[in-house]
Amino acid sequence: MGTIQKLSPLLSNKIAAGEVIERPASVVKELVENAIDAKASQVDIMVKDAGISQITVMDNGTGIAANEVELAFQPHTTSKIKKAVDLFNVRTLGFRGEALASIAAIAKVQLITSTDGAIGTKLQLAGGEKKNLQTVSASQGSAITVQDLFYNTPARLKYLKTVNTELNQVINIVNRIALGNPSVAFNLINENKTLIKTSGNGNLQQTIAGIYGRPTAQNLVAVQGQDNDFMIDGYISLPQQTRSSRNYISLLVNGRYIVNQQLTKAVLAGFGSKLMVGRYPIGVLNIKMDPLLVDVNVHPTKREVRFSKEEQLATLIKTTIAENLNDINLIPSAVNSAGPLKFSPSASSTLTTQIKEPTTKQLAPTPDQWIKPGAINPQPIFDDPEHLASWDQNIKQKASDKLLDPAWTELAANVNHQGFPQLQFLTQIHATYLVAQSNDGFYLVDQHAAQERVNYEKYRQEVGQVSADQQKLLVPLILNYPNADTVIINDHLDMLQSVGIQIAPFGQNSFVVTSHPTWIKIAQEEQTIREVIDYVLQDGKISIAEFREQTAITMSCKLAIKAHDVLDNKQAQAILDQLAQTQNPYNCPHGRPTLVHFSEQDIQKMFKRIQDAHQPRREK
Amino acid sequence: MKFTINRNQFIKKISNVQRAISTKTTIPILTGIKLELSQEGLTITGSDVDISIQTFISVSDADNELHIENTGAIVLPARFFNEIIKKLPGEQFTLNVVENNQTIIKSGKTEFTINGLDANSYPRLPEVESNEKLSISAEMLRQLVDETVFSASKQENRPILTGLHLKISAEKLLGVATDSHRLAQRIVKVNNQSDNDYDIVVPARSLKELEHCLIEDNSEIKISISENQILFEFQNTLFYSRLLEGNYPGTDRLIPTSSDTQLTFDAKSLLQSVERASLLSHASRNNVVRLAIDVNASKVTLYGNSPEVGTVEENLTTEALSGADLEISFNPDYLKEALQAFGDTKIEVEFTSALHPFTLKPSDNKENFIQLITPVRTF
Ligand SMILES: Nc1ncnc2c1ncn2[C@@H]1O[C@H](COP(=O)(O)OP(=O)(O)OP(=O)(O)O)[C@@H](O)[C@H]1O
Ligand SMILES: [Mg+2]
Ligand SMILES: [Zn+2]
Repeated sequence: MGTIQKLSPLLSNKIAAGEVIERPASVVKELVENAIDAKASQVDIMVKDAGISQITVMDNGTGIAANEVELAFQPHTTSKIKKAVDLFNVRTLGFRGEALASIAAIAKVQLITSTDGAIGTKLQLAGGEKKNLQTVSASQGSAITVQDLFYNTPARLKYLKTVNTELNQVINIVNRIALGNPSVAFNLINENKTLIKTSGNGNLQQTIAGIYGRPTAQNLVAVQGQDNDFMIDGYISLPQQTRSSRNYISLLVNGRYIVNQQLTKAVLAGFGSKLMVGRYPIGVLNIKMDPLLVDVNVHPTKREVRFSKEEQLATLIKTTIAENLNDINLIPSAVNSAGPLKFSPSASSTLTTQIKEPTTKQLAPTPDQWIKPGAINPQPIFDDPEHLASWDQNIKQKASDKLLDPAWTELAANVNHQGFPQLQFLTQIHATYLVAQSNDGFYLVDQHAAQERVNYEKYRQEVGQVSADQQKLLVPLILNYPNADTVIINDHLDMLQSVGIQIAPFGQNSFVVTSHPTWIKIAQEEQTIREVIDYVLQDGKISIAEFREQTAITMSCKLAIKAHDVLDNKQAQAILDQLAQTQNPYNCPHGRPTLVHFSEQDIQKMFKRIQDAHQPRREK
Repeated sequence: MKFTINRNQFIKKISNVQRAISTKTTIPILTGIKLELSQEGLTITGSDVDISIQTFISVSDADNELHIENTGAIVLPARFFNEIIKKLPGEQFTLNVVENNQTIIKSGKTEFTINGLDANSYPRLPEVESNEKLSISAEMLRQLVDETVFSASKQENRPILTGLHLKISAEKLLGVATDSHRLAQRIVKVNNQSDNDYDIVVPARSLKELEHCLIEDNSEIKISISENQILFEFQNTLFYSRLLEGNYPGTDRLIPTSSDTQLTFDAKSLLQSVERASLLSHASRNNVVRLAIDVNASKVTLYGNSPEVGTVEENLTTEALSGADLEISFNPDYLKEALQAFGDTKIEVEFTSALHPFTLKPSDNKENFIQLITPVRTF
């Protein structure tokens, strides 16, 4: 690394100004980023009280030369840029020369660093003042300890949240940096407890396993895509393995974790209608690009960046995910789909404070229609933890089965152009599921989900026309909304009108409904209208097209046969045939699976007719 | 407590009480049926909070064959108790409460022992002061409920519309129900000797249950009304229902007083036509039929269609038609249910415009029975 120099005032004024250190997690972030910039392959982070009382970051990087140690703590001193043009070509995580100075100003700091692994320097500061400087013997790299954060600025100390919240922030940032740097081994320890441990062997999937746990990581699929300017490489979960928050999507640009609404939306858009409403995938996308295409100098904590070709990148992300997902057989195997559910999150998998999955509220059909993919799985097979561990082996084996099995060619002739099996209806169970067979085993089809999908693809095109007819109301409906919502609704009356929801302001915080689209089911008028209005409220920036789509989803759900409807053979077969004709027969518009597959092999395994050759024999 | 009773008489009496008992209640004791024995007879009570029904089996009625050994009270699990009594072999049975609320039921050679609950923990019934001055014939009450209650809303989030609005004055009882798509209003005779008028809303469900209890009844039914309860008294039975709180929307002004187009139909044949047309409208998402009236040509046509299946067109037979030409669309299910309520009679259907509700009245009772259906605006 070059020498540390003071930036000219002209240059330092060009750097996005603002608060660099907001909380313990910001200290951790800056120190870890420095370690990565110093080419460390091992970074150990130890915190006490979530870092409020102490943070130590140790690396095996280049170290700082003895004569530069003091300078490193001065404001606007960096070895990473020199001239103004360098600002447009930042290849390191740091560039402002601000972090160490900002940390030193509000805490007690000790640095021990060595560039040769023998002789080193020890510097102690408090509140930015030098307290002690001496030569010591030290190993290669740097170790910085930050104590008593904000001890001299009590006002800022007050703004810290609970220890738990702060710790989650620390975990979160280390997670993200680790995901962006699979070649660096990270260790995060809080009060002698290891919270994160990654191998640093360069394998992203293994890094993800270190963070979200092995079962989750194993069920992710690799995604890759590139165009002239960008290269995307990462992993993403299948639609059946989701979380209730977007927090499990990590975007990394040249190794830097960033937050970007547009790109996150692009990830979701790549899933099309495969995701359940309110559910989000787990994913890590490492995006590489020429530093010239990204301006990192827009936000004081560098969390946000500006792309010169954001739209192009968003499109690439969307198509990359869509294409990669299309390649995969999207019918969950009855055996494998229980994998993610079996997984109990470890401390290291915490990205946000809350791991408990809240139940999805709006839009969700009644609980009895709510079918979790795992809930329909026969149990015994999952008692075997090794089953889950053999996941990748399983996949390999399946691939080779296909090549060897003479039935494969026959089967191939028997599926339609999309690879969706030809389903022959056998029977209905619980007045809710259809059992169907194909050459490759049997399938359980959720009749409601399947019909929703069929309806949805039909109505997506014609929401406007279908809802034109208005049933008049004798006694108008009055809908009350809180102030803030009223404002948003008033701004979207035209949009609501475009799908047949005709409401008019009525007094302060109310709207009056004097007629409603005829597609709304009797006795569900208010509920359905509110559901549609909710889409507007959830996302004030929703486009007409998105809005119509959401409305089509609502319609398809309201008009679909429900669970607990008894179907005759003809009706049931018709649903299966119609499902096969849809663009995405695998999920209902809310993203729940429409069917699960019991392959012949799965069934044989369940009955222990065949041993999984890849599993070591278990001791009895 | 201990008594012996005629089994069939008992079954008849508890079947009404059984209507009030819900298996879905969150209050465990209400899944039970309460038996209370005095020297005068046996009182049986069932309740789901909204509806409570109490019936009395008198010792002085010889048919009951009620023989009292000692008095007392007990709550027994309603569902089992009912099944057990139905399946007992003898013509009579004896019920005996021993220690710890254990109850022995004996009939012929069979003996059941079931666990009961302490009758003291059973909720007290609402207090409604008995009114000697208000009554209605069972026949009238049945008609009123039959002809209106189907129009009440099934939408729980508009609670007031799930009830039947009752307005009682000196000589008449007016009942209105609407789910805001259609409305039914019926006026029947009532015997009100008091100086009070009443304006209350009774849950449609209560009235449906009441109607079942009254199926073979031809007596005069006493009605008492309190702040939030209504009590019907008939044949040794007390039927309580909660009243709905809130203001029922003003429906008087919704009923048109004039019309521009008038048709007269035979209700039964119109019903058949509507059923045919709705065969196709049901296959479509909209479930709408269109009625075209050409007065000069004396032609009234009903159209139904489904984009997927096809179309139906039927020329309706009218008994009379007058006024202006009109085309109007509506949900045929509402017309169907309205016609079913009229039964076999002539009806007059009157329209103002394609966007206004139209009315249906039986020719022979125009003043006392009216139904309203709102149209669908098509584009
Ligand atoms: N762990 C480390 N190993 C080696 N050099 C370091 C380390 N930490 C800091 N330095 C040196 O100290 C300088 C100042 O670090 P500081 O974090 O304050 O600024 P920066 O990383 O250049 O920019 P930024 O403020 O954007 O982080 C760095 O430019 C780097 O040369
Ligand atoms: Mg730095
Ligand atoms: Zn769905």
